[in-house]
Amino acid sequence: MLPDITTEKLVYAHGTESSAVNKTGEWRFMTPERMPGLSPCRQGCLLDGEVPAWLEAVKREQWEEAWQIMRRNNPFPALTGYTCFHPCTENCNREQLDSGIDIPSVEKAIGLWRLDQYKPGQQRDLLKDEIAVIGSGPAGLSCAYYLNQVGYRVTVYEKSDQIGGMLALGIPEYRLPRSILNKELNLLKEEGVEFVTGCEIGQDLSLDELYEKYSEVFLAPGAWKSRKAGIPGEESRGVWNALDFLSEFNSGKQPEVKDPVIVIGGGNAAIDSARSALRMNGVNHVTLVYRRSRAEMPAYQPEVEAAENEGVELIFNALPGKIDTVDGRVSGAEFNYSKTNRQGLVVDKSSSFHKSCGTVIMALGQEQDSSIFSSLEKDVSFYAGGDLVTGPATVSEAIRAGRIAAEAMIARLENLPEPELCLPVEDPISFEDLYLEASVNLEIKDQQEMPEKEASRCLGCGTCNSCGICYLFCPDMAIDIVDGRYELNLDYCKGCGICYRECPSRALILKGGK
Amino acid sequence: MRIDEYKQESEMLNPGHNACPGCGAALAVRYLTRALGPNLAIVLTASCWSIISGMPPLTALKCPILHCPFPSAGSVGSGLRRGLNARGQHNTTVVVLAGDGGTFDIGLQALSGAAQRNEDYLFVCYDNEAYMNTGMQTSSATPFGARTNTAPYPLFKEGQKKDIMQIMAAHGIPYAATATVAFPDDMERKLKKAQEIRGFRFMHILSPCPPGWGTDSSDTIHLSRLAVNTGFFPLYEIVNGVSWKMTCQPEGKRTPLKEYLQNQRRFKQMEDLRIEALQEEVDHDWEALQEKIEATKCSD
Repeated sequence: MLPDITTEKLVYAHGTESSAVNKTGEWRFMTPERMPGLSPCRQGCLLDGEVPAWLEAVKREQWEEAWQIMRRNNPFPALTGYTCFHPCTENCNREQLDSGIDIPSVEKAIGLWRLDQYKPGQQRDLLKDEIAVIGSGPAGLSCAYYLNQVGYRVTVYEKSDQIGGMLALGIPEYRLPRSILNKELNLLKEEGVEFVTGCEIGQDLSLDELYEKYSEVFLAPGAWKSRKAGIPGEESRGVWNALDFLSEFNSGKQPEVKDPVIVIGGGNAAIDSARSALRMNGVNHVTLVYRRSRAEMPAYQPEVEAAENEGVELIFNALPGKIDTVDGRVSGAEFNYSKTNRQGLVVDKSSSFHKSCGTVIMALGQEQDSSIFSSLEKDVSFYAGGDLVTGPATVSEAIRAGRIAAEAMIARLENLPEPELCLPVEDPISFEDLYLEASVNLEIKDQQEMPEKEASRCLGCGTCNSCGICYLFCPDMAIDIVDGRYELNLDYCKGCGICYRECPSRALILKGGK
Repeated sequence: MRIDEYKQESEMLNPGHNACPGCGAALAVRYLTRALGPNLAIVLTASCWSIISGMPPLTALKCPILHCPFPSAGSVGSGLRRGLNARGQHNTTVVVLAGDGGTFDIGLQALSGAAQRNEDYLFVCYDNEAYMNTGMQTSSATPFGARTNTAPYPLFKEGQKKDIMQIMAAHGIPYAATATVAFPDDMERKLKKAQEIRGFRFMHILSPCPPGWGTDSSDTIHLSRLAVNTGFFPLYEIVNGVSWKMTCQPEGKRTPLKEYLQNQRRFKQMEDLRIEALQEEVDHDWEALQEKIEATKCSD
């Protein structure tokens, strides 16, 4: 029998070599380029987060990469995963195909991965200037994180004994497990951020003293002053204001509450108070009274629904007229009906109802307390952020404010150009802009496990989601696979534009010339 | 098929080949060689691919290529198969690669002879609907109404495109199928199926040609997809010449043919009357195909 000559031997018997020495990229008349567009989730994100980019990293199971993308905008994905109301999910383009991406679960997973994986590295030498942060809420923590990462020595001053501000005292345990918060705080301590608790600026230390000691000061004391209703009986026993009640409840003390409970107000603090009260021993009935209609409630609607499902009774269009007392203790409250017309809220004095109760929780909103500035006599420019600037807002907005303040401080101290604040103002990529012709016929990467599976459902919307369609359809082998990502290889790209035309996420542009 | 399972190492097409930007034929052969490789020998008749494969000593494919005269693809394929068998290389897949000229016109007699003898190889026709390599002369694969350099304005190609699939089915060969570049998963499945079968196998691959058709090079995949969605180029397979089966027809109504024609310069000056005539022809062929598929279902 004749010897078996493999085809490989046949090729090289003729002395042939690969045409790869032909750099056909020289023919190119158009050049594809990756150009991230604005997706609805990025537009919705309170932190300007690059949502599709970290979803893509999770899809490839590259958690470290996902965390590195995440921390550019959000250093605490675990905290926001639990507490953020996630406006990013509101306009997800995938909704028009089947259902929107569950972005929170992936965000939370990245945060938990980070907390699990974190190992204290070698003690870094923090050699740069000392900076003080007032308030250890989300804004202060985020500012401290970013400053610490580039080597500043940061000291955070907190007036209460607990670190975390609203995260520790305002947000109930069922919305943010304290173990997560504590891990996050320990991690900051490990990294070299110092915390001083029980020190109120303006009383224990003056702002002037801080400005003498530190190169920069960031003010993020929050908004802790509760609004008053100005009705008779407001000061009697058994009337709580929501923040005091939540602080006591969240720090593990049992605030004195008697059944039944009435919560007055329609914001997130009201809902948190109502749901927390319902979780207390001996409380069976919680009623929430709000002066306007359900649609006008400032609270996050899914939380309202959750409260209703747990058994909180909701009454709308009613205002408290007075609080009845027996022996200086609350016994009930008188309400008047109200309605909104062109002049605003109108109270109908003629129709009223009475509800008896053991406790009233007033959640009429918080205000900034400007008394902190009374201790400032020097003429200095300062950085401030969080609820102090915006009024009562969300954890995510506060984290963003902390980041921006840190960037601005670094720019000023190191003479760098001013950082850009906003995303480009453009229309986000809509479902119609996406080009899903190819993906409906092809089986796109599907992961089996959550949350990778959830992340792999992301359509990208302006960001490469590594679907591989450009690689599949490139006639010139000008796309390389590098660690599961698809990279343009302009040595061979002839500029036909197929990748640009077929890209389902619209992550490429085609430029004239080489 | 999952894209992420593709490895760059399993690609048999080298970068740096000489195809025009957006070439459908280069893409078709890329899918073909990846699906059938690496133990593969290609017989290449005169066609665009003679140029794409490069000047010796360079080669665009990681497998041997045997160039042969224009009319002889069918015979050379038979010879190579028997030669390899004589050496005991039964596992090497022989693929004859020909353009539409080398299949529909010049190569037809050798093709027919090989099909009739049921030679054991795969004949792949990549169809760009004219003699594109020599300068866009009309072939019998050019569709009705198209302009070519041998039928310039105000002339146009008269007469229908030759129905090569019916011709091949009439030979009663074990396997014949159509495929196109916009549906690589469908093409790969058919190629793998054909590779398992012994005897003469035939694949008809529609590969858009941007310079010849007068289209934007980025439209290659889009046009290929439209050709299927309009029913102009349905995707089906024929087993033993009698058993017809649709493989990959997008759901819903067929797209009007006009959408497929309007962005191609070769159809640009086509009057509405002729578009209607071509639409009727496509509808007629579609009905005829559906009847054959229904008849197959009944006999099963």
